[in-house]
Amino acid sequence: MTRAAPMTELAWLGATLLLALALTVAVTLPSGAPPFETIYVLFKGGLGSVSKFGRVLAVWVPLTLCAVGLLVPFTARLWNIGVEGQVIMGAIFCTAALRPYDAGGAAQIIIALGAGVLGGALWALLAGLLRVFGRVHEIFSGLGLNFVALGVTLWLIFGPWKRPGVASMSGTQPLDVSLWLPRLGSMTVSWVGLALALAVLALIYILLLRSEWGLKLRAVGENPKAATLFALGPRRRLLQAFMVCGGAAGLAGAIQVLGVYHRLLPAISSSYGYTALLVGMMASFRLGPVPFICLFFAVLNVGSIQLPLQLGLDSSLSGVIQGVMVLSVFIVHGLRLWLRQRKEAG
Amino acid sequence: MIVLQDIHKHYGRVRANDGISLTLEPGRIYALVGENGAGKSTLMRVLAGHTRPTSGSIEISGQQVAFLTPTLARAHGVGMLYQDPLDFPAMPVWENFQLGAPGRTKREVIDVIGELSFRLDACFLPDETVSSLTVGERQLLELLRLLDLGATTLILDVPTTGITPVQKRDLFDLLMKLAREEKHTIVLVTHKLTEALEMADAILVMRQGALVSTLTPPYDEARLVQLMFGDAADGEGEGVPGLSDSGPVPRLRLDDALMAGPKYSMGPMNFSARPGECIGLAGLDGSGQELFLRGLCGLDRMPRGTLSLDGKAQPGNDFTALRSAGVHFVPADRLGLALFPDLTLREHIQLTFPGHAADMDAFYRSQCVERFNLRAHPDTRASELSGGNQQRLLLSLIHDDASLLLMEHPTRGLDAGSARQVWAHLNDRCRAGATLVFFSPDLDEVLDHSHRVVVFYDRAIAAVVDRAQATTEVVGALMAGKDPRDVLGETATGNSATGGGPGGGR
Amino acid sequence: MTDTFALTLAGILMAGAPLVLATLGETLTEKAGIINLSLDGSILLAAMAAFAVSVTFDSPWLGVLCGMGVGAAIAGVLGVIGIYLGQSQLAVGFILTLLARDLAYFLGHSFSRQPGPDLGLWTIPGIGTIPFIGPIFGSQSPVIHLSLAAIFLCWWWMYRTEGGMRLRAVGESPRAAFGRGIRVRLVRLYYCLAGGALVGMAGAAYSLAVKPGWGRPQGCEGAGWIVLAIVIFGGWNPVRAALGAFFFAALQVSGIYLQEVFPSIPAPVFQVAPFPIMILTLLAVNMGRVGWVQDMVRRNPVLKRLSQSWSIEAPAALGQDFDPRKGL
Repeated sequence: MTRAAPMTELAWLGATLLLALALTVAVTLPSGAPPFETIYVLFKGGLGSVSKFGRVLAVWVPLTLCAVGLLVPFTARLWNIGVEGQVIMGAIFCTAALRPYDAGGAAQIIIALGAGVLGGALWALLAGLLRVFGRVHEIFSGLGLNFVALGVTLWLIFGPWKRPGVASMSGTQPLDVSLWLPRLGSMTVSWVGLALALAVLALIYILLLRSEWGLKLRAVGENPKAATLFALGPRRRLLQAFMVCGGAAGLAGAIQVLGVYHRLLPAISSSYGYTALLVGMMASFRLGPVPFICLFFAVLNVGSIQLPLQLGLDSSLSGVIQGVMVLSVFIVHGLRLWLRQRKEAG
Repeated sequence: MIVLQDIHKHYGRVRANDGISLTLEPGRIYALVGENGAGKSTLMRVLAGHTRPTSGSIEISGQQVAFLTPTLARAHGVGMLYQDPLDFPAMPVWENFQLGAPGRTKREVIDVIGELSFRLDACFLPDETVSSLTVGERQLLELLRLLDLGATTLILDVPTTGITPVQKRDLFDLLMKLAREEKHTIVLVTHKLTEALEMADAILVMRQGALVSTLTPPYDEARLVQLMFGDAADGEGEGVPGLSDSGPVPRLRLDDALMAGPKYSMGPMNFSARPGECIGLAGLDGSGQELFLRGLCGLDRMPRGTLSLDGKAQPGNDFTALRSAGVHFVPADRLGLALFPDLTLREHIQLTFPGHAADMDAFYRSQCVERFNLRAHPDTRASELSGGNQQRLLLSLIHDDASLLLMEHPTRGLDAGSARQVWAHLNDRCRAGATLVFFSPDLDEVLDHSHRVVVFYDRAIAAVVDRAQATTEVVGALMAGKDPRDVLGETATGNSATGGGPGGGR
Repeated sequence: MTDTFALTLAGILMAGAPLVLATLGETLTEKAGIINLSLDGSILLAAMAAFAVSVTFDSPWLGVLCGMGVGAAIAGVLGVIGIYLGQSQLAVGFILTLLARDLAYFLGHSFSRQPGPDLGLWTIPGIGTIPFIGPIFGSQSPVIHLSLAAIFLCWWWMYRTEGGMRLRAVGESPRAAFGRGIRVRLVRLYYCLAGGALVGMAGAAYSLAVKPGWGRPQGCEGAGWIVLAIVIFGGWNPVRAALGAFFFAALQVSGIYLQEVFPSIPAPVFQVAPFPIMILTLLAVNMGRVGWVQDMVRRNPVLKRLSQSWSIEAPAALGQDFDPRKGL
């Protein structure tokens, strides 16, 4: 496959975006919403002010953590659909580590972040063990464990960790202010979270593209049977890949607890796990575009909060646009493949 | 009568067929010969409508068309039999027979199968699944099906791999009958000159995508070889290296070993092999030789018995432990099982010899280019290599201290020159003291390169035959399940493997 | 006593009806070699569309048709992109799951918590008075009758007709099927559409009969994933798959009883209970391929008999691409 000229690539990218726009307008037509006004509200809601952009960054952090984490198992051709559950488990472990304390400092925060990583990694390991030793496809184990993690959260919130007096969907008792992650200026996003996301991004770049471990993982994904013959220890490596991803997702969950919601609540993951899968697919599982797609998706997510308030529309429109965009990427990929084959066939 | 005119078929830059014109007449048997990659299969697929030619035209029953589809080819009576029968293993015999035919009830289908089987001396149970049949039976079923569809032109793509000599005899008799009595056109695609010389009314020789010659009897064998291989055909293979007496400790020893694969288990078996010995495994598909090789290297389990290497027992048969003890397995399905299709040659080397990251280019030149004549840029992906280069790469990835080489069909898909190179290298290894255990569906290859032949039948070792005794007739009979005592005389039994014997180095 | 038992059975049939319909649909699609992973979203969008149409036109049966159309349309998108444009079926299916789910919530916003028509009950005259049978079938939702009829029809089509033979052929070996003049990609697309229509009918069954109405959440979220697991559990056989669907329905129904027994456990916990059971079921099914388990099975005659009668083999070409232009 030869690399096409940058202009051609750009033209195809434009075609993808146009297709996405057309498809979005087409599928949302039955709602009777004015398309251009809706889009205006959406972007103004995401980029209209500094505080809104702060919120976008607060979404970007967990989304990027999940999305770059996902690249690791995908290098081994594994679909870690369980990211969502791993985020939740990270949040649960993080809250558990904080439970006995009413107030604390940096040490407690670091322990809580570590607990989050551990929780996510262990939950991912469970999916990995089911895949490697039980031969349950990771799509089913991951998905099932997502629901189980949600069930555990609900049980905790309504059971042992319920707020004194009332148990409700609004979650556990809030954390003491001393346990909150420090904010970046006046913005809602924490600089600790941003720094951690960038660090994980760099770490995964090195791990996947600059290390022997990455090459071996790629080999395992490329052909697990040959990996056995090369004595690369495919099983151990697959489990490691799951755990790295789970760790990143767990960190995202911990940041959600410490930096965003300051408590454990049922919607702690905000479906970032599923959105991150869309990001990964849209980036064709390459690291480069991931942070930028995450930023765009974060703008959509934050902007969509304005829809019910200003236009009386459901906020799930952001999910629709994200889904349509990724689908458009696949359609354009497929069309290009089809055209090329037709040309080759003469 | 079928006339192919100026058929071209290009895959990217590769010209699989490069302007072929050909006339096939009824009642005649044609043999299409040529090396691997000469374009035989492509041409036949064009004729069967399974591939569209890039250009050219086909005249069939007086009609001129640019290309055929499977439906169109069938309507004109062209039927093709593939090397791996193109059937539905999980489905019963009668459904396999019926699929693609005009609508009939199950009862009618069963009647037709019965009638055809009677005529051609075959026997099928309609409700049995095809996966339980042998390759020979599956081919015969396909043949019956094509005849039922009214095929008058039969293309057989390398039909004799994986079937016994007796089954082959029956098949050839049947083809002869169809051509002589029913005026069918038969095209036999084959690598084996003996088959072509024996059967054909005309031999079509292909080389590098072109039809270089059409020979008619009486045949000149030397000229045929020259046409097929060009100058590469010079010189004979060297057979087996000499075997010296190398002390009492066998390289490999199995005591009451039971092996268990995903589909079946086999054993207990006793066997031993000496350093420097070449052991060929013969058997029909699924007779046990595949499990034997995979069990020896630890890919399939060995629940009972012991495996010893150089006198040292290897507990269980752990793959990693065996590998570091010098056991190396090379499967036949190179891209599917042995290589990473999307990784480069450099990355393969890096994975196998992790110590050479710094001097990678120099190491690549000495290890791959100079020793194995692997002429490819180190950044080439494994999937872009030819079969010969893939095998060269695999051989270059074997550590020098490997003492037991286990190979599945070492020359699969290779042309004559590459095959000879592979065998020269393997013989060198054996001369240096390594033991080779290999399997090939090509019986001649097994007989040519083995000190001893282990024959498998019905998921057990049927007999171990010394080189002196190992002829096509003997081994063929054992593969087909004849009693070893009848074939080899009273001395031989299924367990004669135990002693290991002095082998038969010439 | 018998009446309670009969009522429980009726409850299982009702809860199982949409699961059965969707399972049969997916079984058809997978038997042709295509994995439609979009089930969870398809069911939800079809449920929304069916309810919206029923409310707008006051005709629940028109709603069912619309739900089937939506299911088929989503499957059609997957089919065209997966079969003709050669993209990963799993990836496209997963995208469609999320897309359809969000689209359902977005478009269904204005129908949320509205009263609407449902499919009502079918009374079969004469059997209402028969003991035991009467309470189960005498006066029941038509989706139960539809689902039971669909089991038989699917089995009959797959194993007793020429079309079913071709269906299995393209899923088993597309190359061989192509060699016999079957238009593999077209057949696959057809069964993608047919399977999608059944999945859509399952969605309509939820919003018009089993859990009437629309809202966020509707209550059928997650069912699609359970169905995908049931298809594997059922070994791609419609009758076994339907039994699997009823098994899961029974678990759901027993969950309601358990909730009464353990009032301290919050209700949402019971809603996620099918998922660990799904994982355990798949674990049990797949463990049969692990070496030491096979040894055990071979040694034990009872287990051996059992494993032979419940052998589970996926269609050999499941999820594999086939391009006839590349030839055989």
